[in-house]
Amino acid sequence: MPSAKMHDRASVVRIDMVRAMAPHARALGDPRTDPWQENLTMTATTGATQSAHPERPGRSDGVCNEFTVFTKIKPGHADALREDLATLADAADDEKVHAAVRQIGTLHDARHVIFDNDTRFMFASVFDGSWDTYIDDFAQTVVGARFDKVFSHSEGFPGVKDPGVKDWFVAHQEPAGVFVSAYPDLTVQQIYKDQRVDDAFQEVLDTPEFRAALENPANAELVATPAFQKLLEEASA
Amino acid sequence: MNTADSSSAAGMSVDIDDVQSGALRPRPVPYEGKYILLRVDDRHAGRALLRRLLPVVSGGLPSADRSQDAWVAVAVTFQGLRALGVPQESLDSFPRAFREGMAARAELIGDVGESAPAHWEAPFGTGDVHIALSALSSDATQLEKELERARVAYEDTPGVQVIWQQDVHQLPTGRTTFGFRDGISHPNIEGVGLPGSNPQEAPIKAGEFILGYLDETGNLPPMPSPDVLGRNGTYVAVRKIHTNVAAWRRYLRANSSSAEEEALLAAKMVGRWPSGAPLTLTPEHDDPELAADPNRVNNFLYRENDDRGYRCPAGAHIRRTNPRDATIIGDARMHRLIRRGTTYGPPLPEGVLEDDGADRGLVGAFIGAHLERQFEFIKAEWVNDGNFIGYPGEKDPVAGHHGGTGTVTIPEKPVRRRLQNLPSFVVTRGGEYCFLPGLRALRWLAELED
Repeated sequence: MPSAKMHDRASVVRIDMVRAMAPHARALGDPRTDPWQENLTMTATTGATQSAHPERPGRSDGVCNEFTVFTKIKPGHADALREDLATLADAADDEKVHAAVRQIGTLHDARHVIFDNDTRFMFASVFDGSWDTYIDDFAQTVVGARFDKVFSHSEGFPGVKDPGVKDWFVAHQEPAGVFVSAYPDLTVQQIYKDQRVDDAFQEVLDTPEFRAALENPANAELVATPAFQKLLEEASA
Repeated sequence: MNTADSSSAAGMSVDIDDVQSGALRPRPVPYEGKYILLRVDDRHAGRALLRRLLPVVSGGLPSADRSQDAWVAVAVTFQGLRALGVPQESLDSFPRAFREGMAARAELIGDVGESAPAHWEAPFGTGDVHIALSALSSDATQLEKELERARVAYEDTPGVQVIWQQDVHQLPTGRTTFGFRDGISHPNIEGVGLPGSNPQEAPIKAGEFILGYLDETGNLPPMPSPDVLGRNGTYVAVRKIHTNVAAWRRYLRANSSSAEEEALLAAKMVGRWPSGAPLTLTPEHDDPELAADPNRVNNFLYRENDDRGYRCPAGAHIRRTNPRDATIIGDARMHRLIRRGTTYGPPLPEGVLEDDGADRGLVGAFIGAHLERQFEFIKAEWVNDGNFIGYPGEKDPVAGHHGGTGTVTIPEKPVRRRLQNLPSFVVTRGGEYCFLPGLRALRWLAELED
């Protein structure tokens, strides 16, 4: 199936990206060089063992994690920021952005908000997997460039490819009081997969041959299995 | 005063005698009726017309003797209120959908393509429709008497013009042009004293249907000012819908292999059999006896016996537009309407599959206190999308605009059936949002000064 192949290819690309960024992530994860692990209210493990992707602020629900950053808008930059966001929201760019989000493959949704009388800015998103991979991924895609542009209006932003960018994000991140996902067991990739399976399933249901196959005595044994009956329950409405 | 008791939390009883009879009454069976649209060229003339119409308009509940019962209702569009010289402050206090009018909301409610306002019959959507009169009766002679009184009122008033008229009447079959009995469902409205048609429906707050009373949210519906103008009024979306009966019959024929299958497919799309018997109660065949029993014909819910829609598909017309207790996104009680459909034009003779060019269809009146939450929501979310029942993008098979690419899913064991390439069976010929004032409000309008 062509879509499955594309999926595999995308995964390979992502794994390469993660691998390339891994040493950097480890360096950031070192508590001796990362003051955020002490200063911010995290449940980071103390002691000798540190994983490549240390715990980050933010709550999770199943496989889904939330990420919310609040920044100060540089004086006089609100209109320029608004313009950049309008470009981002432009329908002409819609396809590119959705393609990029598909490439990242871990982002459920994201939003940018200007508030507090044009003085502050919020970025909020929901993503799968580790925080570090997520930021790494951003830097590599067309979304990264947009991120750069949008956050350039915030005070102190070092640039999305700057080695210190994660520290900066963490310093500006505020964990949610409550975070709940409607589908805590589903990653973005699983949702895509489910969508493909349902599309294919619906297509099969539209063929008269499928109904004929169900009625064929040769298939009776399979049709009678509880697993297949479960499938038929979904096929009936 | 024939004021019905109300058990509403606010202790308010509905002042039913001030509510126009045309607002809350179910359509009679059988029926004769007429719609008349007028333009007001001079505000003094418009007010004079209202003064002359006042004695013609009745309030309150139906007379016990249905054969003697006929009523005329007077509704006003936003342009009509302006033409009558209603003060700007008061005009501004009306809700946005009403101020904009149906034509401006066409895209939102799915009047697109051949149903778009650009193709509407004049004077719909032109801004010329100011006052809408409707008259309904179960008795032709009685109707004529009432219409004559109204006719004297507008013909004796220079400065107002009749710009459109439409006779409506029940077909000899007692059914719609598509061949189905309609007008069966009527909400159970708290404190009004009219029985609802479904004994299992808990009473719905009066504020869903009349301004000035608490609604299902526990609040008063937004009401125009001054108070006397809004109180006991409601809104009505009036629509002329052309029905393409030949296309309907051809589609059924093309997707069935026998007369029985054809009848079942039609019923699956409507949700009722031609007699009016609901699929939920009789899924295999029509049951005219059940249909004729007023205690049974509408006495059903969906969730318990038919959650997945094996009897009545979730996408069927009557289940979409009144999902009762069905499993859907949201709360069906927030989107109830009084629906009054009346048929116009000649029936297409039985068995004919080719269009004869005649204009036929229905003039529908959709009544409620919240145009946006009720009529517009139902059109946009329930008729023109299937997301709320888990079929994204799938429209109402009967009332949706499909343009040849629609689908309809019919749950069935072992495998659901999905019909493809649905054409549009209905075309919007025009429509207007109207305000149906209470009787005191009508007098207030008639007595405006300057």
